[in-house]
Order: sequence, then structure tokens, then C-alpha cells
Amino acid sequence: MRSHRGGLPFGRFALGAVLVCVPLVLALCGPLLVGGPGPRATSFTLGDGHWLGTDFVGRDVWRQVLLGGRPVVVVALTATALAYLVALPLGLISALTHRTWLEETLMRPLDVLLAVPSLLMILLVASVFSPGTTGLALLVALVNIPDAARIVRAAAADVASRPAVEALRMQGESWWRIAVGHVGRSILRPLAADAGIRLTGVLYLVATAAFLGIGVAPDAADWAVMVDRNRTGLFVQPWAVAVPALLIVALTMGCNLLFDAMLRTERDAVPDIVRDIGRDVMKEPRP
Amino acid sequence: MSGLGSWAARRLLLGGAQTVAVVVLVFALTEALPGDAAVALAGDQPDPARIAAIREAMDLDRPAYERLADWAAGLLHADFGTSLASGRPVTSYISGAFGPTLLLATLTVALLVPIGVGLGVLAARFEGRFVDRLVSAVTLGVYAVPEFAFGVLLVTVFALRLDWLPPTAVGYGTDLLGHPAALVLPVLVLLSRPVCSLSRLVRAGMIDALASPYVAQARRYGIAGARVRYAHALPNAVAPAAQQLARTVDWLLCGVIVVEALFVIPGLGTVLMNAVAERDVPVVQGLAVVFGVITVVLNLGADVVAHRFAPRAEVAA
Repeated sequence: MRSHRGGLPFGRFALGAVLVCVPLVLALCGPLLVGGPGPRATSFTLGDGHWLGTDFVGRDVWRQVLLGGRPVVVVALTATALAYLVALPLGLISALTHRTWLEETLMRPLDVLLAVPSLLMILLVASVFSPGTTGLALLVALVNIPDAARIVRAAAADVASRPAVEALRMQGESWWRIAVGHVGRSILRPLAADAGIRLTGVLYLVATAAFLGIGVAPDAADWAVMVDRNRTGLFVQPWAVAVPALLIVALTMGCNLLFDAMLRTERDAVPDIVRDIGRDVMKEPRP
Repeated sequence: MSGLGSWAARRLLLGGAQTVAVVVLVFALTEALPGDAAVALAGDQPDPARIAAIREAMDLDRPAYERLADWAAGLLHADFGTSLASGRPVTSYISGAFGPTLLLATLTVALLVPIGVGLGVLAARFEGRFVDRLVSAVTLGVYAVPEFAFGVLLVTVFALRLDWLPPTAVGYGTDLLGHPAALVLPVLVLLSRPVCSLSRLVRAGMIDALASPYVAQARRYGIAGARVRYAHALPNAVAPAAQQLARTVDWLLCGVIVVEALFVIPGLGTVLMNAVAERDVPVVQGLAVVFGVITVVLNLGADVVAHRFAPRAEVAA
């Protein structure tokens, strides 16, 4: 691919960093700054000591904004980490094994799982279980495992076919040393690229699920829940909706711009198609 | 490399396996209910009469494999069972809400292809220049934004501040085509993510194709620039894009659920969310099977299209 992109990555990097900064700082530090809950005021009013007005049950919107970022960010980070916790061993084992049946047993069921749209899967489980916050993190991790495992496997299979791994094998190094010590280390860079993209996707899913009322209490302090619950007062008090919505937009948009700019150099490590399609079924590693 | 016949057979086999897996998975989730399924599903109204009614309606006294066989056999005859909440057949829910969802999806896909491909070709043509940087940055940014946040901001601006468009589709019922103004914002929100992914993919494919030896050769022959772009380079860029189009059905589905909730459109997504809230398992199951099978079939179709356009591309099965 030709590369005369000029100062583009830096511009995007700066834009992404600025966009991410505000919601991230609010999400992480917000809960430390809030005071106790004040007395409840009338629903959907402006002014009267409330900087951003009050929400659908008369709570201070600014206080809810300070509290509401943490669940979104924490659940997304947990879910991404959990997905890799399962996907890494699955992908590594199936890439490094010489037994075809083992590889097929591990990977084929995942191909089938990929067929179910992720939000549908979450809704299906929610219709019988009513998951809490932990349940939501587990669910989002679960729907990300098939794709993550396939990318780990593709990256690991690529490394495993190199002469260095053959040499290690012939030296009689143990499976662990080869898998974790060599292959595991070599795939860290492409995996970092994938993790960034995955985190953006996970943020999307976590926020959307919360908006649809899955895994959250109906009056939870959560930006997505705020958008949903305060919609009824949109015409009276738009700040209760617009502020959390803008924060979610800035967070997801900034994340994607930032990761893309950071990982621009990784373009060759992860084929464009894997990055962009993300969920393409049945992509085999290059021989 | 195996032949086309063998590839198609393997791809069809996978599609079949995915369909069966969707059906079994959807069924298995109700089996996974902790304790007595009837008690769990009765939820807020755990009176014995209701529990007995649910047990009766879902045949919970019979072994699971028999119920799975019956349910799957019913699916083949388009019999999806009856709702726990209302006693109406699930088919009536689906047929009643199918119209608005189909309308939204058709409109979105009809606009998605020209806009996505157009933006991608435009960005590739001016690669590295201002237009490309603008298109790339905007598509990259919007790509990740959840529909509900984007949609609610659009409503705030266009319905609330400017008062150009209605904020929701309340009051129009299923006759949305008669009120095109109510469709603008929902379709715009639905388009936001797929357009970004499609145009990014077309851009990448076009840039690769335009840098390839065969395009250089076509240029040396003196073929006009537009013809090289559209007749020679575009087909190769379309192959991965066709697959992406099918993948976006996954997103479109998520999007439809969110957009219908946001704009209060009485489509399949609304039915699904109501059924989830009421724990109306047969309705959820029926809709999940419909959505799942549509996804499988579209992915299958897209892989076949991609295989036709660029047989040497990595469309391995």
C-alpha cells in the first residue's frame, strides 16, 4: 500500500486523545468528586442550584454524570480482558497443535457461534436470566470470544510456521516455552491492535445493552441508562439526555480514532480486512 | 486448492450447521433456566394458576429432546408456538411487525450501497489528500458510536432545536411510508455505522486495486481513468465489501432494535424488546430463530457473491 499520509496520524491521534480524555477522566475520577445525594427536587427542572438540572426522578444530573461513566468503562474493560482470557489459550492451542481433530473441535463450534448476532445473543440470555453488571460483562465477553480466538489463532499460526519455531522444536524446547515464550510474545503486537478495536466494539455493546435496560437497574447511575430514562423529558430538560449522550459519543469516537492512529504502524501485522470486518466468518490464516 | 463445487458444498454445509446450531442454541437457553422453568418464567406473578398455565403451554412435563423435536418440526411449517403473555400465535406477532422493520431495512440497504461505495471510491481517488483525510477521519469516528447516543443527539438538534423533523414515529402506526418525514432520522441513524465500515473497506480495496499491475497495464493502454476505476478496479474492491455488507446485517439488526426503541416504531425489534421484558419465551425464541436464520442465509449469499467476483481471494471454507 502506498503511504503518503503526511501528518494524518498525528492529527487523528491528537483528536482522539482529546475526545477520549474528557469522558475517561470523568468516568475514572468522577465518583471520587461527588458529594452525598442531595434532597430530591422536582423532575426535569433547570437551575435552582442544579448545574445541569434534574433527571426523571429529580436527582441532580451533574452528580449522575460524575457517577455514570465508571460502570460503562469498567464493564467494557473487564469484558475485553475476560474475552482474551478464554480466547488466548483456545487460539494458541489450536494454532500450535499438530492434531487436526483437536483444532477442529476447538475452532468449529466458534464458527457456528459467530452466526448469532451479538446483541441478539445478549437479549436471548437476558430474557431468561436477568443478568446484573457481572452478568453483562460475562455475556459481552462471551460473544467476543469466537472472533478473538480466531484472530489469536491466525496470528499464532503465522508465527508458528516460521523457521525460528522449527528450530526451537528441533532443539527440543518444551511446548510451554515455544507457545508462551516465543509465539505468545511474537503475537503481542498484532493482538494489541486487535484489543484496541475490540475494546471499541465492546464499549458499543455495553452501552447499547445498558440503553436497552440489560444488566442495569432502571435507575442506575450509568450514562446509557440516563439517556434512556431521561428521554421522556427531552423537550423540557434536554441536558439530562444530551450530556451523557455526548460523553458516550466522545468516548467511543475518541477510542477508535486513538487506537487507529496508535496502531497505524501495525497495519502490516494485522491485515486490513481482519481489522475492518472484525467478525468475518471463516477467515483462514494465510499459508 | 479444491474446485468450486467442493467449496460450495463445504460452505453450504457450514450454513446448514449454523442454522441447526441457532435453533438448538435458542432452545437450549430456555433449558438452562435455573430450577423450575415455569416458576422462573412466571416472575413477578408466581401464583400457582399462572405457573400451571406456563407449564401447560410450554409442555414442560415432557422431556427436553421431545419438545426440541416438536418445536423444530413446527418451525419447518412456520409454526412458532404461542405467546405466553397473550396466547396468540407467535407467527401473528412476526407478521404484524414485519412491515416497518422490512421497510427500515430495505431503505437502509438501498441507500447504504451507493453512499458507502461512493464515499469509498471518492476517498480512494483522492488518497492522502484533504477529501480522503476528511472522509477517513469521519467514517473512522462515527463507526464506533452507538446508535442510541447518535440518534438521541440528532433528535435533540433536528426535532427539538430546529423543529424540522418529528422526534418519534408515535401516532403513525405501521403506516410509515405515508409519513416519510418520520423515517428520515431512523434511517439516518441506521445508516451511520454500516456506511462507515463499507466505505472504509471499499477505499482500502480500491487503493490496493489501483496500485496493482493490471490497473497500471490498463492505464498504459490508454483506457480512460473513469473506466479503469469503475470497470477494472471496483469489482476487485467489491468482493470483500459484499461480505462486509452481509456482516452489517448483524449491526443492522442491533441497530433496528435500538432505533425502533428510540423512535417508537412498532417493528420486530419492539416486539422482541417487549417479549424480553415480559419473559415471553416462545416469542423471543421465534424472533431469535428468524433473525438468526436471516443472518446465516445472508452471510452464505455474500460469500458466494464474493467468490464469484474474485475467486482467488481468500474466501476459504
